Amino acid sequence: MMKQLVPITKILLTGGTAVWALVLHRPLSLVILMAAELLILLVSGQLLKNIKAVLMLGIFAFFLGLIEYIGGGEKEECVAAALRMMDMTLLFIYLLGTTRLQDLTASMVQQMKIPYEYAFMFTAGLRFIPDFIEENKAVAEAQACRGLAMEGNFFKKVHRYMSIVRPLMLRSLSRSETMALSLELRGFGGAHRTFMDSVSPKGADYICFLLLALITAGVIYGRVILNF
Amino acid sequence: MLTLQNVSFHYGENGPEILQNIQLNFGRGEFVAVTGRNGSGKTTITRLLTGLEKPTSGRVCYNGQDVTREDAAARSRFIGYVFQQPDRQMFMSTVREEVGFGPYQQGKRGAELDAVVDEAMHKADVFRFADEYPRTLSRGDQQRIAIASALAMHTEYIVLDEPTSGQDGREKKRLSALMSQMREAGITVILVTHDMDIVAGQCTRVIVIADHHVAFDGTPDVLFSEGRPEEWGLAYPASVRMGRSLPGAPYCKDMATFCEMYRKARGIG
Repeated sequence: MMKQLVPITKILLTGGTAVWALVLHRPLSLVILMAAELLILLVSGQLLKNIKAVLMLGIFAFFLGLIEYIGGGEKEECVAAALRMMDMTLLFIYLLGTTRLQDLTASMVQQMKIPYEYAFMFTAGLRFIPDFIEENKAVAEAQACRGLAMEGNFFKKVHRYMSIVRPLMLRSLSRSETMALSLELRGFGGAHRTFMDSVSPKGADYICFLLLALITAGVIYGRVILNF
Repeated sequence: MLTLQNVSFHYGENGPEILQNIQLNFGRGEFVAVTGRNGSGKTTITRLLTGLEKPTSGRVCYNGQDVTREDAAARSRFIGYVFQQPDRQMFMSTVREEVGFGPYQQGKRGAELDAVVDEAMHKADVFRFADEYPRTLSRGDQQRIAIASALAMHTEYIVLDEPTSGQDGREKKRLSALMSQMREAGITVILVTHDMDIVAGQCTRVIVIADHHVAFDGTPDVLFSEGRPEEWGLAYPASVRMGRSLPGAPYCKDMATFCEMYRKARGIG
């Protein structure tokens, strides 16, 4: 069922959890929120599929908390900061893993009234990430075949990595130019645009909207009145 | 001698098997074509040779020494790779610097570096572009710059991945001449290709990969005169097909041979 929700519901759910994570400040409340988000990921079939991404977020959150602790933060504050980071980002895995990019664009344009150019720019950016990772691998392989080894201390590694970054950037620029030309040739920017699939909310989406509104009100009430 | 000993390979932990128990030797000065249908695993073989992939079982040996665990950077001392898209590796502001990148990584400096770079540029016929920006040159020129980069590292083996695809006839001829020249200089050229004209006309050996195995390993004349290349998705070169229509159906490895046979058959000149 979580997969069947239309993109706007998933966007609101992702945005809603980010707001709840900002409002809540106790580690226990944030842990409960994280458990709920992990449950959503599990139910939607995204948890096991993206377990590496979840672990990476966990590691990043840990280091965020650690840096805050080293910087003189209170232990509870640091734990809360790490959990908040997790809570704010976890559901993006659900959003991006269960929504087609063209549906996301359609939803942004039709329901959120974002101009098509901006919506397209956002989704094209997302689509570019796996391409960029693939390209990075290919350039690194080409340079490795010419004897480039990522060895030595951190500074040496950074210096050597420039031999990968430079061709990567040049190729990315050339790719974006090709994409721009391809868009122009296919009439990008026309006044009237239609979308093939309907992204209008249905019954389950309206129930979700109601639940989101109630939970948001409850979280704000809990934080302000009950100090959760 | 570079060898693959009982090498098997699959992508990921539970990915489908790409290659099974591959046993291949590459001797010095050979001109070997590795061919087969798309997705047959021919590029994977060259990636295993260069260290870009590690076999799931079996060994890769260089002159009897096990180099299976060595990465591509370490193996660059004896094997170079020219990718289908040469601009992937180009980032320096001049061709000279670009060609010099590999030997610089090997520790060459000063006059020694200049000498190997100049020599490689001359061999690959790109010396006239020495001070030009490599990315603005044609793909054929970029391909030859990439070959020069490998030559400058004094590699014994060079892998070329589809170097002639998308090239015009003139550029194809220049690349073919360069590959023959490398072979004559004692470099083993390993060519991944679908271009049967080059396979028949220039290669000393052809390896066909099909159904995860080495389906054929022999000379091009045996493949095209006794084998059944069409079973592996390979086309006969035009010269071979035309040669069959001549009296005695001689094997014509290239158009020059066909013309010679034709003249003989007609009693011309």
